[in-house]
Amino acid sequence: MSEPAQATRREGTHLLVQAGEYTCALPLAAVRRVVRSLSVHPLPGAAGALEGLAEFGGEPLPVLNLARLVSSPPGPNPSYPVTVVVWVGPAEAREAVGLAADAALEVAHVPADSVVAGDGGLLLGEAPVGGAVVRVLNLEALGREA
Amino acid sequence: MSVPDARGFLLLRRAGGVWGISNAAVEGLAWEDGRYRLEVGGAALAADEILGVVEDLVVRPAPLLRRFWAEEPAGLAVHGQLPVVVVDPGRLPAVLRSPGGDGLDEASE
Repeated sequence: MSEPAQATRREGTHLLVQAGEYTCALPLAAVRRVVRSLSVHPLPGAAGALEGLAEFGGEPLPVLNLARLVSSPPGPNPSYPVTVVVWVGPAEAREAVGLAADAALEVAHVPADSVVAGDGGLLLGEAPVGGAVVRVLNLEALGREA
Repeated sequence: MSVPDARGFLLLRRAGGVWGISNAAVEGLAWEDGRYRLEVGGAALAADEILGVVEDLVVRPAPLLRRFWAEEPAGLAVHGQLPVVVVDPGRLPAVLRSPGGDGLDEASE
């Protein structure tokens, strides 16, 4: 495989994560670690998807609820036992964030030309993967929108 | 009770979380009615527990928090595996403000 083709394939490699009733695809290059649910300290007055703060690798880590972040209905057992630690924002100002989720499913290739109908922000779009529709997320945009 | 005369950050526990305030900004500290009261920038703050003063706190900016939280902390840190919200003395979080008033009176004397 040529170098450009390899680079394209790397960019299209995603970690599929179950978040409520939705399956989300996170760019694998932005995934730092998948760990069991971290101990989260709630922040008084925090709204929406912000679960609170945790400690990861000696660093403070804001933890977001991925299902709420993508407006997914909660699944049948919303205990969110997995935290996916990801980088968000542009490379020169990236920030580590934890995404509380139901499960890390598998690594899959999501070709860029298969992604349609995004919102221009966090939701890059939707794409078919293995007979199902997954929501492809742009984690760089999540940091930019902050 | 005197104000700790040290550099660094005063760490306190409030509403289940750990908070850090630049020690230089703490103007008064008193034990009153079963809780600590601090004076910072003329405002009275409440604390459930004073954890101490640390000098080596590494404070990191956390711009993402602003999207999900109305408060504007100076940054985040970790102390003893606990996440710490480092507050900006000029923008004190509502949860830290004492319901008793705007400052310490005779309690700080």
